[in-house]
Amino acid sequence: MLVVLSTVQILAIRVLRDIFFIHGSSVGFYPTLAYTFFTIAPYTLLVGFVLPYSLFILRNDTPDYPGARIYIMDNLGDTGGGALFSFVLVYLVTPFWAILLANLPLIFATCLLFSRRSAVVFLAAGIAFSILLGGVLLERETLKPSVGELIYYSESRYGRVAVHRDAEQYTLLSDGVPLFSNQNVNMAEEAIHYPLSQLSRVQHILLISAEGGMMAEIEKYQPETVDYVELDPQISTVLFKFGLINKISGLNVIHQDGRAFLTESDKIYDAIIINLPEPTTFQINRFFTDRFFSLAKNHLAPHGVLSFSIQGFDNYLAEPQRQKLSSLYNTLMDYFEHILLLPGHNIFFICRSLPVEMDIPARLAQKKISTRYVGAFFYGNLTQERIEYLNEAVDPTTPKNSDDSPRLIRLMFSQWFAKFATSPVGFFAALSLLCLIYFVFITKEEFVLFSTGAMVMGSEIIIIFVFEIFFGYIYFQIGMIVTVFLAGLMPGAFLGDRFSGHGIRLIGITDSLLIVLMGALVPVIWYGGDRLPVTVYLAFGFGVSLLCGFQFPVALALRGGGNSAVTRTFSADLIGAAVGILFTSVVLIPWFGIIWAVAGLIALKIISLLVVSIRYAKIIPKKILIL
Amino acid sequence: MQKLSRRKFLYCSAGLLSVACPAQAFWPFGEKESHASGPVDIRGRVFKNDAPQTLWKWSREGFHYKKIEGGKVVCGICPNRCILAPGDRSVCRSRVNMNGTLYSLAYGNPCSVNTDPIEKKPLYHFKPKSKTFSVATTGCNFRCLNCQNWEISQVKPHEIRHIELFPKNAVQAAQDAGGKSIAYTYSEPTTFFEYMLDTARLAREKGLANLWISNGYINKKPLVELCKVLDGANVNLKSFSDAIYRKLNGGRLQPVLNTFKTLHELKIHFEITNLVVPGYVDDPEMVKEMCRWILDNLGPDHPLHFLRFFPRYKLDRLPPTPVSALERFREIAMAEGIHYVYLGNVPNHKGNHTYCHQCGKLLIERQGYYIPTYNLDGNRCRFCNTIIPGVWQSKT
Repeated sequence: MLVVLSTVQILAIRVLRDIFFIHGSSVGFYPTLAYTFFTIAPYTLLVGFVLPYSLFILRNDTPDYPGARIYIMDNLGDTGGGALFSFVLVYLVTPFWAILLANLPLIFATCLLFSRRSAVVFLAAGIAFSILLGGVLLERETLKPSVGELIYYSESRYGRVAVHRDAEQYTLLSDGVPLFSNQNVNMAEEAIHYPLSQLSRVQHILLISAEGGMMAEIEKYQPETVDYVELDPQISTVLFKFGLINKISGLNVIHQDGRAFLTESDKIYDAIIINLPEPTTFQINRFFTDRFFSLAKNHLAPHGVLSFSIQGFDNYLAEPQRQKLSSLYNTLMDYFEHILLLPGHNIFFICRSLPVEMDIPARLAQKKISTRYVGAFFYGNLTQERIEYLNEAVDPTTPKNSDDSPRLIRLMFSQWFAKFATSPVGFFAALSLLCLIYFVFITKEEFVLFSTGAMVMGSEIIIIFVFEIFFGYIYFQIGMIVTVFLAGLMPGAFLGDRFSGHGIRLIGITDSLLIVLMGALVPVIWYGGDRLPVTVYLAFGFGVSLLCGFQFPVALALRGGGNSAVTRTFSADLIGAAVGILFTSVVLIPWFGIIWAVAGLIALKIISLLVVSIRYAKIIPKKILIL
Repeated sequence: MQKLSRRKFLYCSAGLLSVACPAQAFWPFGEKESHASGPVDIRGRVFKNDAPQTLWKWSREGFHYKKIEGGKVVCGICPNRCILAPGDRSVCRSRVNMNGTLYSLAYGNPCSVNTDPIEKKPLYHFKPKSKTFSVATTGCNFRCLNCQNWEISQVKPHEIRHIELFPKNAVQAAQDAGGKSIAYTYSEPTTFFEYMLDTARLAREKGLANLWISNGYINKKPLVELCKVLDGANVNLKSFSDAIYRKLNGGRLQPVLNTFKTLHELKIHFEITNLVVPGYVDDPEMVKEMCRWILDNLGPDHPLHFLRFFPRYKLDRLPPTPVSALERFREIAMAEGIHYVYLGNVPNHKGNHTYCHQCGKLLIERQGYYIPTYNLDGNRCRFCNTIIPGVWQSKT
């Protein structure tokens, strides 16, 4: 069942979307939530069932089989699976192949376990394997577009890259979302000519990500060098392969995180052009923060220009959008004396230390550069009154966007919810209520595990985010963080099992250590940052997960280790992990920033410590309570 | 083996087919029909008990409505014909029932005011090169998934920033801006009918033209009243399929077709736009059918614009329309007999220019909003003297 459902759920996610939702449309918060729940629930419920059930089976033969051992084995599998996927499968195979390969040990183990009933088991294993194989064969079928054809598909470690062809048009899609096509001359012209027309001479250009037609526009300025930085090698490969961008003289293609590249480079540019999607993720937000703008300014010549764009508007600047551009404008103000906002389908930010010329077609005419879109449409679409309307809309009181307090992400959330005329408040209120009801029914030990689960996953999110800020988006090391956060659980559980006899005192000690560790993270982030080696962050992750792993068998022993206790402690740990990841990534970091997110997790653990202390106070003399 | 009788064979075959046919609908791979996915109708609903406690300054009693029992009113502006109990708000979000009287909350409070080139509407046969003063308040009677103005069309009047511009001031502002016309546009002007009509009457008195840029979802009575002061229109024929209208736009096709007929009967200059949405509105057979309807009911002289789709608002998982699809549709429409067929959202394309339907020579060359070539003399082709349909600048 597990094997079959793992394939079926991926098929369901891909195929049912177009049955339940209108083809080609994006979906709001609650439908997404419901869809995700119902497509994933069968598999996750079964996985959740198998773990304690396996223990009950084992205890049929060995009644005193320790619950902690199955937790250790589960963690061993988690770590192995995580490492296998992060470091091997993601580089080599597509999702259905990964599922097939990852499930082979399960099929093999099932055959071994039930070898006495060989005929039935082998038949079942054969069917399961056939379904896995069927998934592999249907991989491309599930990705075919309704219009045109799928002519390229590959899975990179950063996501799925696909190219659709419809007649003569090639469209590049990343994770199913159309990024751009080869016929979008407007965007290429605006992104290139708005900044470059400002310069009297253009020698060195840095282009952080690119889209169709950009190189052809850049070539009109005959620069000496164009450093084109693209994080995902698959994207640039596809862009060149299908002629979405051309190879031009002086072009250097660099496969690296753009911010990491700038940090390491000492080159000075005449223009830095950022062509990234909206800052909906922490990774993208890093290119719209004070630290990044400072970095960019340091790599610009005195006459240089920085430009980027965010989603624009046609005829009315809605409030979340106004807040977004105000936040960006106010952040840029510290580094650039002159900032011009140009309206349109995208709002362009042209930033310089020298004055910015508004009449782009006139500048292009001076340079004898011809265009198809800008020259013909600029004066009608970007009238003086529209430009003034936009630039006057900036609210100087809007807070700036920073790495550790990503205001833009929060505003993107607001904008997204406004688009679907919905609000997440109901969801979080319901979730909080459910948590409160859950707290009424759980024991103190379970609450400790709940808070520890939340802390581990919350701190993992924080570390990943901090890591991205300081070291750039390096897939290998992100995978390492995830693996390290899993790897600590196993030795922790092993040690906890050895010392579980010390009971609640150890829970208190480990809770205290978790608080200290999280507290130490604040000065590490504030003062250490990227000056500290990567291993410091990895060691932190290992430490947190070690303590989490340690607490599980101790808490389980305190609960007696019976079947019911095992189920409930597993549940507490997993529910805590789910709540921790959700609240940290969706509420704490976007709304309160990293430091307050850390503080929030510490507060949760302090509550846990208090809960432990109250219980501890009842069973041992008060003088020892000073813990 | 028992021999199968003919009757049994037919029963079994019918049984198998009845199972196989629906099963095919659930086979998710192969050719996907965009129309078959998701909800079939996204039409809006009345907002119960959503009216404000008191009217604000920018309110006016509705022009076309009926009072019915229980203090309810029936709005007569558009085919939604919202039945509003006291305290209810209409589908378009702009009209409320306050104690048994229908009020528009979108009167003199535009949220978007710009001076645009007339070609941007698009109106290619109405005083080329002129500027039009464009106004919009909030509201729309549709729910288009690809709306490019959703920030104003899908919100209530009090939810956004607006300026105060009552009809008299709007006309003055249009004159100050150097506009030759006032365009009621961006959102759906039918939903601010009272504001539009009062402004249009004053504008006509001052010699300004009135332009209605609309989805055409309006009842005949208010439309006829509007046409008394209307000089031109661009009406969006979103597709030629009622199913697609319901699925992508939250409206119905027939009322829009009725609008075209009324405009034609009343001899209002209008142009038709058709946004070619990949997977939905890109069926050549549907385009042929649409063109035949236009020819049969409206004749060949109303310009038809095929617009290129770009991902917008909620319909953002589709690629843009390939330019060749638009070119093919232009060829189909011209082959069917429509005289003036244009491509929109495709810069620098010959489909942007106007060619005389008689002699085929270039009359108006459009480079974006520039018109470097203009070969009309009054309303006639400079080469063959044929009358070109439209509203043109006076003879020079």
